[in-house]
Amino acid sequence: MSYNGTAIVAMTGKNCVAIAADKRLGQQFLTVDMDFQKIFPITKKTYVGLPGLATDVQTLYKSNMYRLNEQRDIEPKAFAHMVSSTLYEKRFGPYYIEPIVAGLDKNNNPYICGMDLLGCMDVAHDFIVAGSADENLKGMCENLWEADLEPEDLFETISQALLNAVDRDALSGWGGVVHIITPNEVITRHLKARMD
Amino acid sequence: MNGISSFEHPNSTVTADGTYKHTTSPIVTGTSVLALKYKDGVMLTADCLASYGSLARFRNVERLHPVGKNTIIGASGDMSDFQHVQNQLNGLMLSEHVTDDDQVLGTKSIYKYLSNIMYNRRSKVNPLWNKFIVAGLEDGESFLGFVDLYGTTYKSPVMATGFGAHIALPILRKYAEARCDTLTEEEAIEILDNCMRVLYYRDARSFNKIQRAKVTASGIEITAPYSLETNWDFAESIIGYGA
Amino acid sequence: MLQHKDGSVQNHQHGWEPYVDNGGTSLAIAGEDFCVIASDTRQSEGYSINTRFDPKIHKITDKIMLATTGYSADAKRLTEVIKMQTERYFYKHEKNMESHAAAQMLSVILYQKRFFPYYVFPILAGIDNEGKGCVYSYDPVGNMERVTFQVYGSASGMIQPFLDSQVGFKNQQNVDKTRLLTKEEAISIAVDSFTAATERDIYTGDYLEIYIVDANGIHREQKPLKFD
Repeated sequence: MSYNGTAIVAMTGKNCVAIAADKRLGQQFLTVDMDFQKIFPITKKTYVGLPGLATDVQTLYKSNMYRLNEQRDIEPKAFAHMVSSTLYEKRFGPYYIEPIVAGLDKNNNPYICGMDLLGCMDVAHDFIVAGSADENLKGMCENLWEADLEPEDLFETISQALLNAVDRDALSGWGGVVHIITPNEVITRHLKARMD
Repeated sequence: MNGISSFEHPNSTVTADGTYKHTTSPIVTGTSVLALKYKDGVMLTADCLASYGSLARFRNVERLHPVGKNTIIGASGDMSDFQHVQNQLNGLMLSEHVTDDDQVLGTKSIYKYLSNIMYNRRSKVNPLWNKFIVAGLEDGESFLGFVDLYGTTYKSPVMATGFGAHIALPILRKYAEARCDTLTEEEAIEILDNCMRVLYYRDARSFNKIQRAKVTASGIEITAPYSLETNWDFAESIIGYGA
Repeated sequence: MLQHKDGSVQNHQHGWEPYVDNGGTSLAIAGEDFCVIASDTRQSEGYSINTRFDPKIHKITDKIMLATTGYSADAKRLTEVIKMQTERYFYKHEKNMESHAAAQMLSVILYQKRFFPYYVFPILAGIDNEGKGCVYSYDPVGNMERVTFQVYGSASGMIQPFLDSQVGFKNQQNVDKTRLLTKEEAISIAVDSFTAATERDIYTGDYLEIYIVDANGIHREQKPLKFD
């Protein structure tokens, strides 16, 4: 789980959700890539973050996209269950991934969900964290998060949570990306961070 | 080997190749000790069994040991290590007695002495395999202290060792912890007896011959061994592993 | 293998570990002319709570406090050793040890047990010889650093990035990063840190002890945390 290094966090706001990740790809303490994608768009209003072993990140993403060939948008809840099933199929030889699904459902209600590597789901009303900096993120979120944040405030909150968390984790960081999902648009911003 | 005689390591065994074997596991063991503070002082209880593995080997052992005028030590774990501690404390009390100053060591001093013994032995990586509860009353203030083979110490109004820490402690916390100051002797006895009954039902290394001890303003009192009423009717309905 | 002073060798071939982790969290924040030191009072071993009240902060002199986490028995012995040495210093020199001297001494005491360390993460905090707030943090074998804030223990992973943000003003623009907190700010951040950590860390809880050290002396506050 900490071979490549990751920090991913999702938060709910008022009719919006945010999901953010760092950009580092490493092999233990050697940094290989500083612009590695860990969050993937599934629909216009559902994103998935895949923290864990990088090879499984790409494999799992491809296998899930293949299954989504249905010519219609999937609800975040349904998608989360699909990812969960995909993981549980490999119960005795798992993908080393602890996914986070974040999105707005058809009524534009926030939905965020975390999973362990076997697919055990954790649907939260506040925030979900995962990766090698999960404890750091947990501490930041527990302190900074509050209910019903507007998109811009949610952006500031999740960005501060991510940046301060990865600065205390040797395996994650080197820049970050934040997606704020609102009913009308997805705001994507890239964060500059310490490069050490 | 190299001039080290077993005399310098009285609690270690010299093996054939001249190396030393320390206690790596307890042999003859006593199970839980429970204790609580109440209105008049402190009360503790333990059963009279010393087990040899799963064998109920010695069934008339006193694990509540008085030291000085107002202190009791309750011991669980290895009984030979406990007896060694008893001998050391006897030596301590004697060397204090011969000063002939009419002073008797109090509970806090005995607890500190015992804690140092335990910590120093763990620091030699040759521990005394016990968990002790030291209980007493000094100048109207009740005292309950714990020390184990790691030298870890703590104080608390209710405490339990071994299996009791898992099964009896939640009961003690629920019925005694918050109202230690007002708890009467009768209530304290009832709570402790109930805990011992629950332990007798669930702890396979326990025994229905127990002792209770208290330290109050009038000194130490340790009861003669007695048994608790039990009811095994429920066992009739258990089939297989029960539920 | 254990080498004796006379050169003889003793074989220890058993698996007994002479250390346990008793959990808990301690932190300290330095201000301009004060210092805030906070700890929870839970002592645990594995999934059992031994006691809800076992203070981990100890007074060393009128100006210095020692906050510990890690293995409780070692922490208590270490505290005794430091108290003993500072007391001897007092009787010898007829003055209290200054914090920088106590800080260096603590480092030496820890390093003396380099090959059988005290499994303790100490934070020495108080007022320095110029009347400024000071925090010294250590690893178990005596590596020392003077800092403006530090947290150690079972919830350190959760609290340290929060302190980086709120005390160190990290990842913030248009702020004075050298600014030190006011007393009220420092206390409020310490309290928030522990209430948040108690939510997620099973080894932190029961009561929060807060000491404020300033020119007026040492002031103590206690707050309940969650019992679960």
